[in-house]
Amino acid sequence: MAKTTEVSDKIIQALADYLKRDAASIHTNHHLRDDLGLDSMAVIEMLYRIEEVFNLQIPDEDLVDLTTVGHVIAYVQGRVAPAAQKKSATTRSAKGKKA
Amino acid sequence: MPTRVVITGLGVVSPIGIGVPQFWKAALEGRSGISAITSFDPFPLEGYRSRVAGRIVDFAPERYLPAGQGDRVDRYAQFALVAAKEALGDAQFQMEREEPHRVGVIVGAGMGGMVMGEREITQLYEQKRPHRVHPNFIPVITLNSASGIVAMAYGAKGPNVTISTACSSSAHALGQAMNCIRAGTADAVIVVGADASITPLVFAGFCSLRALSTKYNDAPQRASRPFDRGRDGFVMGEGAGALILESLAHAKKRKARIYAEVAGYAATSEAYHMVIPREDGVEVATTMRLALKDAGVTPAQVDYINAHATSTTVGDAVEVKAIRLLFKSRADNIAVNATKSLVGHTLGAAGSLAGIVSALTLDSGQVHPTLNLEDPDPHCTLAGLSRASQAKKAKVALVNAFGFGSNNAAVVLKKFST
Repeated sequence: MAKTTEVSDKIIQALADYLKRDAASIHTNHHLRDDLGLDSMAVIEMLYRIEEVFNLQIPDEDLVDLTTVGHVIAYVQGRVAPAAQKKSATTRSAKGKKA
Repeated sequence: MPTRVVITGLGVVSPIGIGVPQFWKAALEGRSGISAITSFDPFPLEGYRSRVAGRIVDFAPERYLPAGQGDRVDRYAQFALVAAKEALGDAQFQMEREEPHRVGVIVGAGMGGMVMGEREITQLYEQKRPHRVHPNFIPVITLNSASGIVAMAYGAKGPNVTISTACSSSAHALGQAMNCIRAGTADAVIVVGADASITPLVFAGFCSLRALSTKYNDAPQRASRPFDRGRDGFVMGEGAGALILESLAHAKKRKARIYAEVAGYAATSEAYHMVIPREDGVEVATTMRLALKDAGVTPAQVDYINAHATSTTVGDAVEVKAIRLLFKSRADNIAVNATKSLVGHTLGAAGSLAGIVSALTLDSGQVHPTLNLEDPDPHCTLAGLSRASQAKKAKVALVNAFGFGSNNAAVVLKKFST
């Protein structure tokens, strides 16, 4: 659980740095485009920062599901915690089918 | 009679001042913007033969631009935004009153987004992590990033073009903007010249080309000395110049203040050598002659030349030879100066700064000095060159600009009269 908070804090801080706004004003249910005003290029730039923070490479096919702050946190959490990775991947895939 | 085109606004970002009033005051006072390069960290300075440049120190775009406007572009495009903002304000140009598709942007840039370009290339080759190349790398280094961002900043939806002809880029931008208005494809064009590439790789490249001054590393302000016997190469500068061009009818309709008329333009190629000019000066003379013909004025009417004059041994001598070829005995009656003696060679910005200086000279009747002309080279003597500022009620001005790739441009400005 501490790990989740740590990931969450780092992501929200990265977003706050990118958006030049207070981290406390960013919530997990915020939509990256509709609430935070990130266009598609800005999302790519923001994820580029997150890749560096967590030493990740996010494949193109995963981008489509990363639409809210919460999605990004859950995704990164899944990627950095190997045990949770499979579950996270399953969730993503299920979501994709529903859509 | 082609549509008359006039200049109604000016903007400058330069090593001797950001803003036209600061720039022009410093120019008339003969202030040098050249300083020593103290570090190219982490590269050893000893590896650079030249260690002087005309840099803009402590440039903070947020001081001049709305928040965020300059965040996604490189330094040269930030300069372009700042210069364009000043020029539009100076012209009291109100985009909301314009038909957006009738307002164009034409930018001249030689090197483009090299600050980020070099950083990303260095990191890729050092770290070998292709996935860490910045997502903005391509949009930033693409050479039309400045013309794009200027149009976006003001909603100018007309012709949007970038011209890259090395050191003559923005003289062509000026000429092509005039032609664009003459052709009726725009009522007004925001013309910008910009470059900011005093970067470790580009600077080293010019050093290796043996194009830069190396004798004055301990006396930076003496390094840029066009037409002087002691000149030994150009001094790199950086900056931007912006000019608002519009049809006379459009300017009159909005009761705009007019600095000068852009009356003629010529673009030629020497088709000779990538970096060396033809030493007989014939092609340069032809370029000037064609521009004057386009303007409908004779060589005898020219009373001021803003020379290309980069302070290279061959280049300056060729230009003077060409001036003598075309103007013959009248050559000594023309006031001539070299703006690069003040700010260095700003590459893609040079033509626009020369256009701005020429417009201000026609408007104010004052010719800025040519610095460091202490011992005029016998191959470069012209009676109209001076180390001091001169008063001259000039009516016809000629701007020269020559670029690598065997490229020449000349633009004719006239003092405005109805």
